[in-house]
Amino acid sequence: MQNSDNQAVKQMSGRERVLAALRNETTDRTPVCNPTSVATVELMDLVDAPFPQANREPELMARLAATSYTELGFDTIMPVFTIIQESSALGCKIQWEQKDNWPTVKMREPIWEDVDDISIPNDFLTHPDTQCVLEAIKILKKEYGDEVAVIGKTMGPWSLGYHCFGVEPFLLMSLDDPGKTKLALDRMKEATVQFGIAQIEAGADALTLPDHATGDLVSGEYYKRYLRDLHIEFVERIPIPLILHICGRTVDRMEYIAQTGMAAFHYDSKNEPNESMEIVQQRIALVGNINNPETLFAKEPEDVKAEVVKNLEAGVPLIGPECAIPLQTTIENLQEIPKAVQEWHHSHT
Amino acid sequence: MSSIVNIGRRIELVPIDTHFHDITMALYREELDACTVFRIHTYSRKDGVSERIQQVANYMHTLGGMSELPNGKLIFPCGDNHEVACRRVFLEACKIPPNTPTEPCPLNTLDKKSKLTITVDSIGNGVYRVTSNGEGRSAERRVSAIAAGLMKLGEMDVTQETDGDAVCFACGHSHDALIGLLLVRAPNVRVVIREEEASASRGVLSAPSQQL
Repeated sequence: MQNSDNQAVKQMSGRERVLAALRNETTDRTPVCNPTSVATVELMDLVDAPFPQANREPELMARLAATSYTELGFDTIMPVFTIIQESSALGCKIQWEQKDNWPTVKMREPIWEDVDDISIPNDFLTHPDTQCVLEAIKILKKEYGDEVAVIGKTMGPWSLGYHCFGVEPFLLMSLDDPGKTKLALDRMKEATVQFGIAQIEAGADALTLPDHATGDLVSGEYYKRYLRDLHIEFVERIPIPLILHICGRTVDRMEYIAQTGMAAFHYDSKNEPNESMEIVQQRIALVGNINNPETLFAKEPEDVKAEVVKNLEAGVPLIGPECAIPLQTTIENLQEIPKAVQEWHHSHT
Repeated sequence: MSSIVNIGRRIELVPIDTHFHDITMALYREELDACTVFRIHTYSRKDGVSERIQQVANYMHTLGGMSELPNGKLIFPCGDNHEVACRRVFLEACKIPPNTPTEPCPLNTLDKKSKLTITVDSIGNGVYRVTSNGEGRSAERRVSAIAAGLMKLGEMDVTQETDGDAVCFACGHSHDALIGLLLVRAPNVRVVIREEEASASRGVLSAPSQQL
């Protein structure tokens, strides 16, 4: 919630600003938030922390993540660049790729076929790829914890279902056997909770919770049937502000998302800021919406500014990219986000 | 304090330089005294990185006929933009292994599709005529296609008074080295476009549902 009289609010640190916005409280200015990744190949060079090592070694992960604050001027640092850390710990095969590409789960080689196969290994939280995240958060908390919000990430069970069963088998199961699907989600959710709580203990101020019930494959009714109550449960069991992330056009489920009690919804540019704000009605904060593949990746800072302003004008309480940005994104486009936010506030005081 | 430098607009990127520690190199453009100048930049601080940048600049000088200013920036002799062509010069220069002797590309090439030798000749004022050593409709079609390829790769214009076999640089100056480089790729522009599309799609994170 942006104060209408900025003079009355004392200047906040980035951390205070982000956490206030996530609590729907007044802020000195709109925070610039990065619930997913703003890593680029140029930033990797700048701090000598390239992929894939920066996804597997905590010092490199922390160093690359810190550039979000030190170089770009965001109010958050988010070290969990990928969406595969816990899937790796669960036993999925990972294609780690090179510096210029994202690691992916080899979903054509699923590790589970049936709900009874679901098992969270005893070393889930000590596996190198989950431990890396926890150690990186500790490093960042120690170094920047007073200045900016350190955001972690724990994947939701729908995403884990895609990774561990394969996209097609998991979706078919959801069509053929809703009971089994709910049981599968119920078992997988423990990984989400365990990893989330471990990140809180490591020092995370908030957590992004991606659960890819995306607009292209899953309807709003599906979200309500399978995920709304689970997400309510996450809010109850993970005692920290949660930022739900779902890609694609999601206005058909925003009403249900707003009912979950999540602190924020990280929303895609396929949704108009005004229509989205109208649906959520301050029950949940919105963040994101700056388009990645067209605007941040391929256009100019003026275009980035226009999208930032569109969100600010709509009253969106936290500004940031819609998803993990393409690794070849220009630094000047990313710097434009905080710059545009500050300019907008100067022109409105 | 931020270490980011403001050196103009980034217009091209090589995310991994396989010839030098997998660093990322970028080409930036800025306007200076009514001229467009280009700068090769990397944020890497690895030992030897300055020498690597100098190598690429030298290759751009040779392959694209560009001049190097005292501050290390590059410029076409005409001072004009030629941005698309410059990006191509940069990409090709980055592919050359260090310490490889280079020369400007010749103004003729073997067109693998037609088996014809294609030649470009400067006829003044930045105009180049494309010819082949063949005759007939099929040879004419290849000449037109390659001229169209040059237009696309070099942002060149078609000249009015020809049969689609001549192209020109809008600046009105000759760029022999540059057109020699573009001629190598002009017979198969589709491959270039496919490469560009593949390069652009790398590093874009997809939702798991789109990774089928």
